Amino acid sequence: MIRDFDISSNDNTLYATGRCSNRCVFCCEPPVQHEDTEALWAENMLVLQRAPDGVPVVGISGGEPAVLGERLIELLEIVGRRFPRADVHLLTNGRAFSNLSYARRVVQATRGRLVAGVPLHSDYCCDHDMIAGVAGAFDETVAGICNLAAAGAAVELRVVINRYNYMRLRDIALFIHRNLPFAALTAFMAMERVGLASDNAAEVWIEPCDYSGYLAGAVDFLDQWHHPVAVYNVPLCLLSPGSRRFACRSISDWKQRFASECDRCELRAECCGLFATSTEPFRNIHAICSSA
Amino acid sequence: MPRLSAATIHSQLMMSRTDRNYHLLPFNFVRLCGREVLVNELGDMIVAPAGTVERIVERRMEDDGLYKSLMSNFFISREAIPPLSGLYAARLHERKSFIDAGPALHIFVLTLRCNQNCRYCHASSRVIDSPDCTMSVTVLDQAVALMMQSPSREITMEFQGGEPSLLPELIRHAILRADELNRRACKTIHYVLCTNCVNLSPGLLELCAEYGVVISTSLDGPWWLHNANRGTCDSHARVVAGIEKARAAVGHDKVSALMTASRLSLDYPREIVDEYLCRGFNSIFLRALNPYGLAADNADWADYTDRFVEFYKQALEYIIELNRRGIFIVEEFASIVLKKILTPGGSGFVDLQSPSGIINSVLAYNYDGGVYCSDESRMLAERGDDYFRLGCTADGYESIVYGPRAKKIAQTWAAEALAGCSDCALRPYCGADPVRAYSTQGNAYGHRPTSLQCRKHKAIIEHLISLIIERADEVLPIFSSWTA
Repeated sequence: MIRDFDISSNDNTLYATGRCSNRCVFCCEPPVQHEDTEALWAENMLVLQRAPDGVPVVGISGGEPAVLGERLIELLEIVGRRFPRADVHLLTNGRAFSNLSYARRVVQATRGRLVAGVPLHSDYCCDHDMIAGVAGAFDETVAGICNLAAAGAAVELRVVINRYNYMRLRDIALFIHRNLPFAALTAFMAMERVGLASDNAAEVWIEPCDYSGYLAGAVDFLDQWHHPVAVYNVPLCLLSPGSRRFACRSISDWKQRFASECDRCELRAECCGLFATSTEPFRNIHAICSSA
Repeated sequence: MPRLSAATIHSQLMMSRTDRNYHLLPFNFVRLCGREVLVNELGDMIVAPAGTVERIVERRMEDDGLYKSLMSNFFISREAIPPLSGLYAARLHERKSFIDAGPALHIFVLTLRCNQNCRYCHASSRVIDSPDCTMSVTVLDQAVALMMQSPSREITMEFQGGEPSLLPELIRHAILRADELNRRACKTIHYVLCTNCVNLSPGLLELCAEYGVVISTSLDGPWWLHNANRGTCDSHARVVAGIEKARAAVGHDKVSALMTASRLSLDYPREIVDEYLCRGFNSIFLRALNPYGLAADNADWADYTDRFVEFYKQALEYIIELNRRGIFIVEEFASIVLKKILTPGGSGFVDLQSPSGIINSVLAYNYDGGVYCSDESRMLAERGDDYFRLGCTADGYESIVYGPRAKKIAQTWAAEALAGCSDCALRPYCGADPVRAYSTQGNAYGHRPTSLQCRKHKAIIEHLISLIIERADEVLPIFSSWTA
């Protein structure tokens, strides 16, 4: 499937590869094992060719785009020539950027317009490694985050909330405050119930209504210290009222849907809604009504 | 496509974890509120149950949340050199970055003459018509030239006395000279005028307004207290009028005040805080008397120190209560310490650093051309002791900052290398003060068990940590608003 760029979309993304260097236990698009760079490269060139001018943000996702190595730099240069004013939003596990010179060259290829979204699964190395499915991933990811920032990228940290980390959300926030205070944004994200998150639900799944208290503690802590913080993918009705102002309409427009209960909800217009792709909806979805 | 089993990954990784096989990273601890407060070299703090340190050392840790927190906060490590040692080093470098920056605070003691005669004066001031205690233009020019040689990109030029406002033309000359030299140096220069505010002429205020000079004055509390401290009946009225005049000329936020707690003050914490509020200040620095100059002759410092700590706690409690009621007012000493406890950054406050702020961050140019480590060290010199004299304004910058005297002083300026400080859990929040040690204990190395400065700092810092432990929900929103 080739998804063309659309100037009115909030998600114009090039899918760089389906391969990944991590094996995250809740991955919604489990990595492919075969070499797919060339086929996707051709598709991406076509997308760029057909794209309208003036796209403000170009996303690069995967898989792990950095498994492309030098070809990622080439891709970024092509994107830069096609959209000189666009910011580049790269979704990466950050590990390849533990090599500082690679981090510098990637940032340079975007002429400093790189926003890197990097998942941080825990403040505790072994938990992060367990969730990422690779021993040593935490150390490389944190080093990569520091290198990307040092090279001039804006780094958005993404904490995907799952059964293995929800009780440490406040500790993760403290780790960010102390060690990664330069982060441009910390986004706490609900899992998308598809792929491994669905297959492994018994082990990894946790309902937003079961972690909203932990989430509020983490969000309030970061906000108290003036770190930009956001909540993605959690419908407003499942957040504690104090956390709602941090929620974003984060679900790509082509994936967003609402439940029938949402018709009566006063906050529907401000809500991220639900993933159309989920195998099951979140528990406890309900309409928020001031009269109720 | 082969699906990955989370259970398989989980069990594999769990097997590779040898939880008792860890290394200790440098940290100290102190027992407070029935807990153990662990503090590492970065100033990161963990509050843990009693007995934790023993369990850490004896490798009896459970694989629980505390174990994870100790690992993620650089208290223990799976490897002797933690994989994230680069991050650790970068943070330590940031905390100590003031060492590389060069002296930023330059104190110009323009004169010892003063138009007041405060009882606790520690500035060795002399009566208003005393001869031979005012800086010459030649010395001033040399001092400004030295200041501009500091590598620091940001410079604060502070005019002290005596009462510097008695010499408005000298202040003007100094500012214009600095401005002229700065056309090439391109530093950011801040100016501070320390004045009792009773003699601010329109011309001086105009100059202050033009150059954004911060006016720093002394206000000890309500009129009866302030006047009693100064042995006058009208000082308070004149200071308050001066503050208003200064605010009108240079802007409300450019006027700040300092209080010094005399023995009399110690019974009136609320009254002093209220006075600051009703004069429109949203910050107060609760400052103890210091034992320099004339103030050293007042006896029984131990008793004073203990009473000051009680005074400080009461005043802080009242300030917290005010903030809780929505009245924003900061206690500056607490905010300096809290910044070090609660945030990854340092504070930049020269009196609470290690290596200490003297020379590293401060130089003081005395009216007679002597260059000293700090304001306090030139006060010692007025009593005939030149231990902290680095040279004179006619000397070269290198011979002052890197000269034999500076090297000698450097042996005693790092808390990391002082007995009683090196293994103190509060060290990352405190600082070394060789000038105070020298003046009160007879040698610059000092003796912590009998040091009243140590007793006071420990008591206050421990009190702040206790508040964080026992009343987190109440105080943390307030404390974070102070350190932002």
